[in-house]
Amino acid sequence: MAVLPPTTPDSHPAALVIEFRNVGKIYRSLLGNSVKAVEEFSLQVGEGEILGIAGPNGAGKTTLIAMMLGYLRPTTGSVEINGMPARTYVERNGIGYLSELIAINPKWRADTALVRYATLAGIPESQIPAHVNTVIEKLGLAEHRDKKVKALSKGNLQRLGLAQALLREEQILVLDEPTHGLDPVWTQRFRDIVEELRRPDRTILIASHNLDELQRLADRVAIIDHGRLQRVVSTGYDQTQQTTTRFRLTLATGHERIRESFPHAEEAGKGEYDVTVRSIQELNTALADLMSRGALISSVVPERSVLEQQFREAVGESQ
Amino acid sequence: MSRARLARYSLWQFRDFVIDRGIAIMIIGLLWGYTLIAPMRAAMGAAFDVGPGSPAWPLVITVTSSVVSLSVLIALNGVVSADRKMGYYRFLFSKPVSAVAYYAQLFFVYMAGVLAAMLVLAVVLHTVVPTFKILNFLVYAAIIYIAMGGIGFFLSVATRFDWLTLAAVWLGSRILRDFYGDTPGWKSKVVELLPPVHKLTEVSMSIITSGTAHAGAVVWLLGYGALFLALGLLLLHRGSLAD
Repeated sequence: MAVLPPTTPDSHPAALVIEFRNVGKIYRSLLGNSVKAVEEFSLQVGEGEILGIAGPNGAGKTTLIAMMLGYLRPTTGSVEINGMPARTYVERNGIGYLSELIAINPKWRADTALVRYATLAGIPESQIPAHVNTVIEKLGLAEHRDKKVKALSKGNLQRLGLAQALLREEQILVLDEPTHGLDPVWTQRFRDIVEELRRPDRTILIASHNLDELQRLADRVAIIDHGRLQRVVSTGYDQTQQTTTRFRLTLATGHERIRESFPHAEEAGKGEYDVTVRSIQELNTALADLMSRGALISSVVPERSVLEQQFREAVGESQ
Repeated sequence: MSRARLARYSLWQFRDFVIDRGIAIMIIGLLWGYTLIAPMRAAMGAAFDVGPGSPAWPLVITVTSSVVSLSVLIALNGVVSADRKMGYYRFLFSKPVSAVAYYAQLFFVYMAGVLAAMLVLAVVLHTVVPTFKILNFLVYAAIIYIAMGGIGFFLSVATRFDWLTLAAVWLGSRILRDFYGDTPGWKSKVVELLPPVHKLTEVSMSIITSGTAHAGAVVWLLGYGALFLALGLLLLHRGSLAD
């Protein structure tokens, strides 16, 4: 089995699970017009990894996922899962997939829809009721199980979509805009569910506009724009990274000492200061200095997450 | 394993057929049969005796064979294209299932559904016209399902407007064959490639009446449909499910 290089110096190499190899997709109309949806996209995803895919609308995220599930054939390049062509892998093993648009026959009942998908997923008939009840319980759909799909609200439909993706213990999960339409309570619950799903032998892909969500859930985030991979960002804080970052500091006491430690601090409100540093070491050194001068710090918050900063740079560069 | 789970899923496919298409086929078949045969029966009174050789027999053949053609059109309308248009394929085929096997099974489950509907209609007709042979009619329905349905299936894979396209191909072939089928020259040769709709009248009259037909005509009809069914499955295998 092929392995990926470690993503961080202290991590182990992961077995390669998904590989996009120089993938391109051009949509052609009957009139001869063509649109390049994805271009020269190469990326490897390892076992146990949660990979985020971020990009503006029309960046090519959904096209990439459609090629990964074998619903679309790449115009150039290939997508392989565990060394097999993507469609072959899906037909043999299945993938837990939540699509951006939840398309379930509106005439089906919520619970029978899950029974149908469970049957196709190959869950033994005797175990289907237990699997269906588990996901219904997990996704809070008990009071809606008898309803027709067309009677479900957007949020409940989204949860039903997620429920069908979780029916079986899949090795690969692909979640396209998973919190789209969910209320804040279920958005938080979804994050907990994804954390519960994290396993060393499971690979999860999450495509989302929500950078905060990806920052919290993903190990790495592939930023794409105009169908091209712009960069891959590790969401953990890289100690070696030298990037200018702005933080908002809130002080309980010692306001008068702030400029002794942060000479360029800008006042942002009552007891709040914006400071700019070039590295996390510089920030910690200055904070230690400030505390040694008697100041009490109540919070230090980055103005933007690492991912948000990288996203702005990547998408800005490609415009 | 994959076959077993698909076989289990066939019960859901059959249920969908009954609810979405079977009921419509039954209603249309009953209404059509009733509106054409009931007035004839009322007019003839005690003299109503429709059997092979009677003047009313061709009407029975026309009505029943038309019901079969219409049923096939209803059964296979959107059989593949609707799932693609509506996006239902996304969740169905993220499961460990081959789209080719799924739709091949669907084709034959719907065939069973059409034959079941035709059986009910044939039993009803048989009570009115005792000389009407149920088994002959079912054989005819099966042949037409393969012949016409195979083309319909291919069109459902290849286009989004399969019902309309199939009706156009079927009707267009009939018209072009009537115009150019017996003329000398290249036009008659090209027309030969079109669906063998010209065989239908001969085959329907012969099979429904006597249970037999010219083997060449039947093979031509079945072969043409089977070829397009295979082409449709090949296109599913080679092409993309998403647009």
